[in-house]
Amino acid sequence: MTNPARDYWRSLEELADSPDFAAVVEREVPRFRDVLDKFDRRQFLTLMAASMALAGLSGCGPEPNPQQRLPYVEAPPGVVPGRQRYYATAHTRDGYAEGVLLAHEMARPIKVEGNPDHPASLGAAGAITQASILSLYNPRRAQTVVGPGQISSWEGFVAALYRRREQLLKKRGEGLRLLTGTITSPSLGAQIAALQTAFPAMRWHQWEPLHRDNELAADQMAYGRPVARVFDLAAADVIFAVDSDLISAAPGWLAYARQFAARRRPDETGGKMSRVYAIESTPTLIGAKADHRLPMRPVEVAASVRFLAGAVGAGPSQWTEIQSPHRDWLKEAAADLTANKGHALVHAGREQSIEIHLLVELINAALGAHGNTVRLIEPPVVSPTLHLQSLSELVGDMQAGKVDTLLILDTNPAYSAPADIPFAAALKRVPFSVSLSLFADESALLATWQVPAKHEYEAWGDARAFDGTATIQQPQVRPLYGGHAPSEVLAVLQGNTQPDDLTLVRQFWQRQQGAGSAAEGNPQSLAGDAGGGQTGPQSSGSSQPALAAAEAFEAFWHEALRRGVVANTAAPPLTLTPKAGLAEGLRPLPLGGEAAIDLLFRPDEGLWDGRHAENPWLLELARTFTRLTWDNAALIAPATAKKHGVKTGDVVAIATRYGATKAPVFVLPGQAPDTATLWLGWGRQAGALAEGVGFDAYRLRGAAEPWLARATRFEKTGETYRLATTQGHDRVAGRDLIREFTLDRFNNDPEYVKQKSKDVSLYPGYIYPDRAWAMAIDLNSCIGCQACTIACQAENNVPTVGKDMVHFGRIMHWLRIDRYYSGSPDDPDVAFEPMPCMHCENAPCEVVCPVHATVHDHEGLNLMVYNRCVGTRFCSNNCPYKVRRFNFYDFAAATERPPESWNPDVSVRGRGVMEKCTYCIQRIKVKEIEAERDGRKLRDGEVVTACQQSCPTQAIVFGDRNDSHSHVARRKATPLDYVLLDDLNTRPRTSYAAIVHNPNPAIGKEQS
Amino acid sequence: MAIFGPSANLLTKAVLLAGTGLFLILLLMVWVVPVMGYNSQERYAPQQPVPFSHKHHVSGLGLDCRYCHDKVEVSSNAGMPPTETCMTCHSQVWTRADVLAPVRQSLAQGVNLRWTSVYVLPDYVFFDHSIHIAKGVGCTDCHGPIGDMALTWKATTLYMSWCLDCHRNPAPHLRPRDQVFNPHWVPGPNTPSGAELMKAYDIHPERLTDCGTCHR
Repeated sequence: MTNPARDYWRSLEELADSPDFAAVVEREVPRFRDVLDKFDRRQFLTLMAASMALAGLSGCGPEPNPQQRLPYVEAPPGVVPGRQRYYATAHTRDGYAEGVLLAHEMARPIKVEGNPDHPASLGAAGAITQASILSLYNPRRAQTVVGPGQISSWEGFVAALYRRREQLLKKRGEGLRLLTGTITSPSLGAQIAALQTAFPAMRWHQWEPLHRDNELAADQMAYGRPVARVFDLAAADVIFAVDSDLISAAPGWLAYARQFAARRRPDETGGKMSRVYAIESTPTLIGAKADHRLPMRPVEVAASVRFLAGAVGAGPSQWTEIQSPHRDWLKEAAADLTANKGHALVHAGREQSIEIHLLVELINAALGAHGNTVRLIEPPVVSPTLHLQSLSELVGDMQAGKVDTLLILDTNPAYSAPADIPFAAALKRVPFSVSLSLFADESALLATWQVPAKHEYEAWGDARAFDGTATIQQPQVRPLYGGHAPSEVLAVLQGNTQPDDLTLVRQFWQRQQGAGSAAEGNPQSLAGDAGGGQTGPQSSGSSQPALAAAEAFEAFWHEALRRGVVANTAAPPLTLTPKAGLAEGLRPLPLGGEAAIDLLFRPDEGLWDGRHAENPWLLELARTFTRLTWDNAALIAPATAKKHGVKTGDVVAIATRYGATKAPVFVLPGQAPDTATLWLGWGRQAGALAEGVGFDAYRLRGAAEPWLARATRFEKTGETYRLATTQGHDRVAGRDLIREFTLDRFNNDPEYVKQKSKDVSLYPGYIYPDRAWAMAIDLNSCIGCQACTIACQAENNVPTVGKDMVHFGRIMHWLRIDRYYSGSPDDPDVAFEPMPCMHCENAPCEVVCPVHATVHDHEGLNLMVYNRCVGTRFCSNNCPYKVRRFNFYDFAAATERPPESWNPDVSVRGRGVMEKCTYCIQRIKVKEIEAERDGRKLRDGEVVTACQQSCPTQAIVFGDRNDSHSHVARRKATPLDYVLLDDLNTRPRTSYAAIVHNPNPAIGKEQS
Repeated sequence: MAIFGPSANLLTKAVLLAGTGLFLILLLMVWVVPVMGYNSQERYAPQQPVPFSHKHHVSGLGLDCRYCHDKVEVSSNAGMPPTETCMTCHSQVWTRADVLAPVRQSLAQGVNLRWTSVYVLPDYVFFDHSIHIAKGVGCTDCHGPIGDMALTWKATTLYMSWCLDCHRNPAPHLRPRDQVFNPHWVPGPNTPSGAELMKAYDIHPERLTDCGTCHR
């Protein structure tokens, strides 16, 4: 360790700690010893004396106060210094909107929260969405327009594109291509449609590396048209998940997770629970929450889905005649599904094959799910396309020289294209290419024009949610680093040389309102509405009706912006039945490849498809199952590891038909045998922070096998690689930390959990006559999504520390999700346990602090007084829950983050200071003061901690324990409630609700 | 030959005396200097872009504190008046005064005035104006005779002990709510006692000294 305080903004070399980099550091920051060598004693003393004298000088007279205050010239309405205000907008993932509210302090956004009015958020926000605020402020974002071989300007770009437009108009758009990701934006859709009219020969291609091609292809087969689905998990008594991302990544997952969890709390639902089955090749969140889970290879998954189809009458009954050790298991699951017709739901993840998606659709139809647990709707996506086909056509044309103008908007195919689609090489043949991107990414570096994009929070735009509901996105801050919106680039092509995203979006909605068709919310009709950049029809007359219409639009516009949702835009439902005879028409399954390893490509939990690779919060977020930070790895099952003679950290050479790479192995319990899961999004070739971190799994991914590839090579290389996981940190193993039991037991012996408690003391407890803040965490609801961890990091100014420090166990997260396994390593049960500070009434940390830096207050908060802390770390030693975090280096100061992006309501901790969860004391105090100012009592639910607010499943509840009507008191009163390590008599304020499983009695434990 | 000549006596005395003196000076530096007003900037009035006089505006013209510091009742931050607030009057009176040139310039050019903070708290202290106002702590309790200051100077040390004096025993610092903004308030014969006000305002001093009250 030569270089402390890893700053997450530095390069790969630092993270890898290579000797080259060490040499550079030596030169640039000489160590004190090296400095000393250059001086003789006399010189040194002279310098010291001089600096002493100067230090004396500076002590003379009151120092000029450096703190300046700059009041507004004209105060903007509504801005109150010191108070937060919220503005609605939307964050998009794969094009789908998740409604958010951004907290503003003095008109600058500091925190992302979910928008309770938005159907895809319901007030929650996932980890990626929470972390988007850091991307907004990221000083390494692209800031300069770069033209062919030189730095240019936006005006220069507009002029160049405008000239291009003149030529293209003559050719009717021949050679003009547009490449975007998935677009749900109605206004962009309309703009593209207008462009299509102006340039009839133009073609629009789409490339989203995490596309939903298989789903779309299956829908085309089943219905002859694209559809989208909205699930109702509240109505689902039995859920069968096939490698499902239903509660982790699917559009609308936050809402689904909420519905899912509501059915998993037997204490609140009168002893009833849904039952979940999962078959999967790699662990998923819903698999971890399942009552019955089977890890199996993809070929077995396919056979199992066929079995299920046969068993529920959605396919030929001979499909049930399979030889499988899981046959009985599947039979019982199928019986359970059939018995719950109308209340059953089967879901397959996006990575599954067309066949599985088709069969799942047929099974759902056979189970009467349509109209009950599944609703088919008009797709919110503008022009659903097979992305792989779209991209390969584009690249084919690029290679053939048919493309002379290519606009790449917010997608990065030079990095994310399949290995057998040579986009990067083909891009060099395009004479005029534009890349609009947030960072100078791989595609931008190859394009002739790099144009910095506006962050979503800087631009006007709109986007639809999973159910079609539209949100008008409003900028939260002026573009910090220049940047322009996609709509502005397209507008230039439409002949508007001074485009402005507000006008473009506003005029679109004005037309919608004018046409009166917005209420239908039909994306097709919106997309068909041509014309961009022209004035709406209202402006022509000044008569009374026009005035009324303008007023009505103003009201509509402000209401839409204020709520973050455009009313009545949910997509209309579709009533469709799948075509008959589809299952029978399927080819027999190919026989499984023995020995070979199946490679499974999966989005990374944090970096997603790679677009968040510059976000240190997401890089350092310990992945749910592996607890891995700052790296991806090939995840293999323990049995597979044994077979190949590798262990975690060994580097293997992996090859497919498309390419080869080396990757460290991570042995993951619960992974299917003979499979290796590879996370996409790592191993970037461009970027300040992410360049070369992890390995690039896209290089192994072919167009024909986008999600599942057979490895042609999987060999140990003999090299090892240091992976930084938080898995081993803070071990509290062997103790009674997780309590789980079955629903049967809960219904028969509800006091079971309580009986295990050992809460005994000879001394009376402390008395808190007024308020007693407390937290209840429901382990049944916790799905391990880690939204809370990032929410806490954002709210509480928690720094990141870098891979080395994580390796030393110095990660700073105040709230971590512990992941516990039980059972056999091949197919273990998983339990998630969020661990904030327990705020013990008998806090072991307090009695050992020599300077009283951690003390209790009168409401039972275990306070951490940073300005008193001298850094003995005794408290951390004495904390049985290991929730205290120490600033070994000046982590916060070492971060390259604009000062205005920190939360001003929370101290930024310096070096040598201990810190830990405060129950968001800043939020408590703000609400407390508000209530006292108004002369009233605090209401239950008024104080919401950051973790609680972000949680999609409402697993975390915070409030006053002394108020017996409060939500937290009610949660604590359930028979499931228990505290951790109660035998230590710490009397924690944070308590947990024990896990209850709802297993199918017909399936023995040994089978599940 | 004697090792110590007669001059050694004098030298010893001188060394001992100098040592004691040095010790006393050090003691002074360690104990006294930090609490000197000189060091705490008490009574220090930093230079401002405009020599704004509270005396003239508050005591002379009778402006209410909240005319300029309009957020003081609702926010932690009392709020510094935007330039336009100054110009509500100064677009009519003293329109050509040289001292007000920066204010006019600010409005004309849209450039913020740069005031220097008189009261500066460390970053780990979170002070809230609104709750103090709501609980009947007058402006002058912290800001001194602000209504009579020709130039704004720091009226207290802002040491933590000074904060705690009041947080431990708030009663003597409380006034009826309608007198909070009165810069020349003195308790009259009918003024409710501190204890009565404590009760009326529901103040619990034991909770006021929790560290989390100010440090977060």
